[in-house]
Amino acid sequence: MILTPHELQEWIDKEKSFSVIDIRTKDQREEFQLTSLNPVVAIADAIPETQYKKVLICQFGIVTEGIIIEQDLNNTYSLLGGAQAWELFQNERKDMSRWARQTVLPEIGIEGQKKLNNATVALVGMGGLGCPVSQSLIASGIGKLKIIDGDKVELSNLHRQPLYGVEDIGRLKVQVAKEKLMQLNESAIVEPIEEFLDENNGLNFVKDATIIIDATDNIQTRQLIDQLSKKLEIPMVYGGLYRYEGQVAVLNANGSPGYGDLFPEPTSSGDACADAGVLGMIPGIIGNIQALEVVKLIVGAKPNLIGKLLIYDGMNHSMQTIVL
Amino acid sequence: MITVNVKCFSQVMYALDTDILLIELESGATTDTLEKIIRDRADGKLDGVSLRTAVNQKYIPDVVELKDGDEVAFIPPVQGG
Repeated sequence: MILTPHELQEWIDKEKSFSVIDIRTKDQREEFQLTSLNPVVAIADAIPETQYKKVLICQFGIVTEGIIIEQDLNNTYSLLGGAQAWELFQNERKDMSRWARQTVLPEIGIEGQKKLNNATVALVGMGGLGCPVSQSLIASGIGKLKIIDGDKVELSNLHRQPLYGVEDIGRLKVQVAKEKLMQLNESAIVEPIEEFLDENNGLNFVKDATIIIDATDNIQTRQLIDQLSKKLEIPMVYGGLYRYEGQVAVLNANGSPGYGDLFPEPTSSGDACADAGVLGMIPGIIGNIQALEVVKLIVGAKPNLIGKLLIYDGMNHSMQTIVL
Repeated sequence: MITVNVKCFSQVMYALDTDILLIELESGATTDTLEKIIRDRADGKLDGVSLRTAVNQKYIPDVVELKDGDEVAFIPPVQGG
């Protein structure tokens, strides 16, 4: 009989009684570990009798299958893939345990976490919104994050862009961000582009993304993101700020309106943060709502902000949702 | 006469110095009528600012007639971070 690593783990989790017999050589035992199994070491010709079910383990699961057949062993299982498969299985479990506090949520689960780990997200702008968005997404396990911004860190950025410190002033934001984000998840891929998004680089930047995030500080770039999002049918998670207020919407998703549908003509608006003023907490809140919507879109959690505009007022903590 | 509830966001809120207004209108008044009143009250502070309209939490791209008790929001575009 054959047992998979997953089934063996279930036996452990359910505290079933069984014996593990490791028939490998010393060198083989050093190559792959049998973490949490406490095996009895034996040789193939002298498998010990036990009162419980036996699980035989060789290096790759082939030798033990043969032994069970040749020796006509009853109540004995061969571990599929052997010690190598067990070590791989345990490594995967170890990696997943990093996100245990979110995989326990039924809307996420292991399958949702795998979707996050395999997702590619394109983030435009690494300022007040881009910092919290990128931190939360990398920490949540997004597999690949592409970031684009041609700006360098300035002293006046530090109050609302917590990825950057005094020692980073004068450096390109995307380079500093990559270093800091890799500290949050060393296995994530962070791809920095040291340019501002424009018509020349835009298509190449977003084309392989699952979702595009608008964390820009100007409406012109937002309109370009909207055009790319609509053309490539990649949802866009929009975020905007005005003083104590912020807006978030998921646009161009499953036929939902885009930014150009909301504001069809060239728009005139209030100032960017640099002129209107902003407290760091507001982009922190709005950026995290954007990141939350990205995660919900990737794992398929509903309800979400597809076709809706969320307006948050940080002064009186009111929220309003407008159906677009 | 009808009375509508106007919710003010971002530049509209700062221009009118309030986040909510109750406004009486002639029966048959439209969203366009109301927007003109709001812009007049803003005393030039909303000149050149595009506004989009939502009635009862739903974005309305066209001009519509308002009913008594409607909640109207004028939403300007905002920039970012």
